[in-house]
Parts: sequence; structure tokens; C-alpha cells
Amino acid sequence: MKEIFVLAEHRKQQLRDTTWEALAAGRKLAEDLGAELTCLLLGSNVDAMADALAKEAPRVLVVEDPRLEPFHPDACMQTLKAILADRGPFMLVMGNSNALLDLAPGLSVTLDAALATDCFKFEVRDGKPLAWRQMYSYKVNTLVSFKDAERIVATLRGGAFAFTPSGAAVATVEKVASPLGGTTFRRRFVGYVEAEKGDVDVASADIIVSVGRGIGDEPDMEMFESLAEAMGGVLACSRPIVDKNLLPKYHQVGTSGVEVKPKVYLALGISGAFQHVGGIKGSPLLVAVNKDPRAPIFRVAQYGIVADLNQVVPALTDKIKQLKG
Amino acid sequence: MDIIVCMKWTPDTSEADLTVDKEGKDIRKDDLDFDMNDWDRFAIEEAVQLKEKVGGKVTAVAVAPEDAEGMLRECLARGADEAYQLWDDAFEGSDGYAVAAILAKFIKDRPHDLVLTGTLADDDCGGQIGGMVAAMLDIPGSTLVSKIQISDGKLTCHRELEGGLYESIEMDLPAVLSVATGLNEPRFVSVRAVRKVAALEIPTLELGDLGLEASAVGSDGSRIRIELMELPPEGEGAEIITGKAEEAAAKLAEILKEKGGIGS
Ligand SMILES: Cc1cc2nc3c(=O)[nH]c(=O)nc-3n(C[C@H](O)[C@H](O)[C@H](O)COP(=O)(O)OP(=O)(O)OC[C@H]3O[C@@H](n4cnc5c(N)ncnc54)[C@H](O)[C@@H]3O)c2cc1C
Ligand SMILES: Nc1ncnc2c1ncn2[C@@H]1O[C@H](COP(=O)(O)O)[C@@H](O)[C@H]1O
Repeated sequence: MKEIFVLAEHRKQQLRDTTWEALAAGRKLAEDLGAELTCLLLGSNVDAMADALAKEAPRVLVVEDPRLEPFHPDACMQTLKAILADRGPFMLVMGNSNALLDLAPGLSVTLDAALATDCFKFEVRDGKPLAWRQMYSYKVNTLVSFKDAERIVATLRGGAFAFTPSGAAVATVEKVASPLGGTTFRRRFVGYVEAEKGDVDVASADIIVSVGRGIGDEPDMEMFESLAEAMGGVLACSRPIVDKNLLPKYHQVGTSGVEVKPKVYLALGISGAFQHVGGIKGSPLLVAVNKDPRAPIFRVAQYGIVADLNQVVPALTDKIKQLKG
Repeated sequence: MDIIVCMKWTPDTSEADLTVDKEGKDIRKDDLDFDMNDWDRFAIEEAVQLKEKVGGKVTAVAVAPEDAEGMLRECLARGADEAYQLWDDAFEGSDGYAVAAILAKFIKDRPHDLVLTGTLADDDCGGQIGGMVAAMLDIPGSTLVSKIQISDGKLTCHRELEGGLYESIEMDLPAVLSVATGLNEPRFVSVRAVRKVAALEIPTLELGDLGLEASAVGSDGSRIRIELMELPPEGEGAEIITGKAEEAAAKLAEILKEKGGIGS
């Protein structure tokens, strides 16, 4: 690999955390592969963001075009295709965010590149990068190679690559003329639709009792409400619970739901997919009840009970009521 | 309107005890139950609901070996008009890119106004097929899609971003939409509905039928290769509270009390 490219992600003129994480991963790859590192920033009115990146990346390449703002996967794809046309061999890394989920797979086809999504670690063997990712309900770690690919696109697991500011010399920002010309797109952005607000604000709750698919298809929701009430907390959930209309969307914790920062998080029948635990910030006392001892949630929890939640919850509620006197 | 729905046949691993096989490059699957990929149940339902609204035909398709026929038959029972199984021994070992190439070839050769997929498959956790198929067909696409509306050859939908934020987008048809879970309520399939489709033929198309070269599929046509699979060590992290459920619950209550997990 001669070059490592990092694609910056931003929304509403703000760089997103995925950008810094991708830069962290890119730095390490460039070092391990002896490759040059360049950060790519596509958007409109990006000067402030470009300056911030120039403090951390050795090279920043900017393309400005109003059609690149807000994020448009097709506009990005065509721009990247044009600016990367004669480059190679290279590896391009970016976050595995909901937005970039619309870019990376199509881009890999367009660039004729090999793709690995949601990578949490890289390795270099014989001068070639390999990627670690997860499969099978995120329960199995898998090492994948890119065969002899001269071009690689990889997306990165949120939170897997920690960024530390380097404070290195400030890079020059190179502006490249937009290659989009008069292109019109067959997909068009209409507008943002803001999150629905509810009567419960899980985002600011200190104590959260969260339920997942493990509560079954016809759960006794009162049982969980009583526990939450006994604990003086609120009820939250994972995505499948919202999908089944058991609780409204504003109860959903996770990357596409609400971000929470509680002191205590009790996860009942939740497997611990990264999109769920990615929504739990700070470092709460995380306790999980799950009947599968290998559930990924036990890897992030401080305490766990391996049992049927239907037996644990009533007993726990009673005991807590007792302790409160 | 011609709607093609891509259906994946996946092992149910969410509650299973998994072990890696002898070669160390996959898990043992002989004891696992297989079923329709979770996200795809929403995709087939959406296809049938759209057909019920605007008319047309729904075709379900899976790149999967023989055993997956039951899933395709279930698609017919759910309201699909026809179903195709794409399989050939040469497809064994295909990565996401090779699977997308097989699906794209199948789709290209027949009328398609809309292609639906799930956003993610529970086995490879790839989230890539929809976007790849769209690029291969050179038509627009989007993932994590809900609230799909179609009128006058134009499509509008919501796509999910982070933190409960959505973007509203519109697209020209044909397009590939990878649906989000929860965008509809998959219907209950009655025994009667299953019986009604029991005799329908589900053709299997092989490499030659699809006009594909062996070098474009299987491990040869793949761009990534699995080198190693391993299970992370059990229990790394959490301290497991032992004892019968009631005892464990009592111990947990004490811990919660001590650590401020019981508020007012
Ligand atoms: C782009 C994207 C965004 C996403 N955003 C989110 C998000 O914001 N929030 C979110 O939560 N998910 C999100 N997901 C989905 C996520 O990947 C998982 O599918 C989801 O979190 C799984 O929910 P779960 O843990 O409730 O269900 P499962 O993974 O099915 O886990 C159920 C668990 O319950 C256990 N169990 C079953 N029965 C019992 C019992 N009787 N007693 C005790 N334990 C039991 C099982 O062992 C299992 O571990 C997103 C996915 C994608 C691709
Ligand atoms: N072998 C397959 N046959 C048919 N559709 C598939 C296949 N693999 C993946 N898909 C579709 O692509 C979606 C995303 O899968 P993946 O990219 O593997 O995570 C799934 O939800 C399916 O709709």
C-alpha cells in the first residue's frame, strides 16, 4: 500500500467522532505499512473543519461543491472516483456510521476495491493489511485478508479506534476542483426529520432498566415497569422492542436511538450488539441478565447473572422493595 | 410494478452456543437452526404491502443451497408471486461481492422497478449487499429505509441516521432499498397460506442458467478471504453472580444498593 486515505464525516458543519477515529486507524495503518496518510474532506464551506484536520493529519485534501452538503452518497462516490482514479495501491478508511453505510459498499464496486465493513482492528502481514471483524450475531471474531487487492475500502467499528491529538506540524490544505460538473443525481435529499420527543427522557436518566428481545413476544411489561419504579429509574430498550411496538422509539438506546449517560444500566435479555452498547456513554455500572453465558453484553458489563430473566426480575424487584424498607 | 426481494438464509446464532470448526475458518453449523434473516422478513412484507397498494409482481430470490427452499416457499405464502433459488456448487465460498454479483446478474435480466433487501445479515454482519447491487446495476440505493412511498415513478422514503434523526429522501426508479427493521409488521403466516403454495414450483438457476463465469463467483470471484475465526474468551469482563435465580437476584439487589443503583 502506497497511500492511506481517511474520509472525514461531518454533519451540519461539524466533524463527527467517526472522523477522528478513522484518523487514528489511518495513522496506525500508515505507520505499519510505511504508507502516506491523507485526509479527504468533501463538502461545502469546509474551511473551519479543514483547519481542525490540518492540525492532526499530514495532508488534507478538500473538494468543495454545494452538492456535497448535506452528505450525498452518490456525489461522494463520483468525487472519490475522480480524485482516486490514478492513485494506487491504496486503502481508504471511514466510519461505519449509518450515513456511510450508504457509501462504502457502492464505492468499493465503483473503485474496483475489496471491502471489509465494521473492522475493529488491523494487522499487517508480509506488507499486507488484514482486518478483524465480527460475524454471527457479533459473537465470533474473524480475520479477513484482502487477497492481492491493490485497492481496499474498510469501514470502522465505532469506538474501536481511540484518537489522541498529536499536536504535530500543521499541514497545508490542498483544494481540488470539484469534478461533479453538471451532474444531476437520481437520489435527492429532501430534509432532516427530527427525533420524536416523548414523555420519558432516557437520555438524562441516572438509573435505566433496559429490556431486549429476550423478554419474548408477549412480555409482561408491567413486571419491568415495577422493577424500574422500585429502582427509581426509567425503562429503556433495544431496537427489536421498538420494532415490535412494545415501546415507542424514544426509549431505544443505541447508535440509531438515544444516547444515554446513566449511573446504572441494567440490561435484561439484551445481547449487547455494538449498535446498542454504542449508545451507552460514560461508564455506568453495567449489569446484564442473560441466559447465554457467551452473550457479548457480558464483555462490557461489570456484573452478570446467567439466568432466565423471568425468574430474576420478580425476585430482584421484591428484594429491592425490601431493602428500601 | 416489478419488485425483487433478496432473501438470505441464515443460521440462528443469537442464543446458540457456537464452536469453531476443525479448519478454524467457520463455525460448526450442523446443530444450528436456519431461518430467514431477520431484516429480510421486513423486506418481503414491505414488498407485498407495496404490491397491494400499487399493483405489480413480487419475486423473491435467494443465493442459497437446497435447504433454503422452505424460506422461499414461506415468501410465497407471505404473498410473493414467484421465487427463485440461485445455487451452484461453484457459488460455495462466495463473499459479499460475489453474492452481490450473482444477485445483480439475476436482477439485470428481468424487469425490476424496485429491489428490496435487508440492511444487514445476522451471519456475516456485512451490511454491504444492497449498496453493491445498486452500484453494479448503476441505479440509486439507500439503506436503513422506512416509510416508503411510491407515486408516478418517484419514490420517497425516510432513512435512519443517528440519535433518532432521519433524513427524508426521494429517488428515481428503479432503485435498491435496504429496509430497516420495524418499518412494518410482518404478517402472520397461516397454515392455509402455506398449503396454498405447496405445489408452486421454485426454480433453481445454476451458473450457466445465469450466464455467469465460474471465475466470477465462489472464492475465485471473492475479494476478501476468511483466514481465521475465533470465539472471544467467555466471561472476560463481567463478574458473574452465581446461585439460583432468586439468590443471584438478592445478591444483585445488595450490589445495586451499595453502588447507588437504587434511587428514590
Ligand atoms: C445500522 C444499525 C443501527 C442499529 N441501531 C440500533 C440501536 O440504536 N439500538 C439497538 O438496540 N440496536 C440497534 N441495531 C440492532 C443491533 O444490531 C441488534 O440487532 C439489536 O441491538 C439486538 O437487540 P437485542 O439484544 O434485544 O436482541 P438479540 O440480539 O436477539 O438478543 C436477545 C438476548 O436475549 C437473551 N435471552 C433470550 N431469552 C432470555 C431469557 N428468557 N432470559 C434472559 N435472557 C434471554 C439471548 O440470549 C440474547 O442474548 C442496529 C443495527 C444496525 C445495522
Ligand atoms: N445469499 C443471499 N441471497 C439473497 N440475498 C442476500 C444474500 N446475502 C445477502 N442478501 C441480502 O442483502 C442483505 C444484507 O446482507 P449483508 O450485506 O450480507 O449483511 C440481506 O438482508 C439480504 O436481503
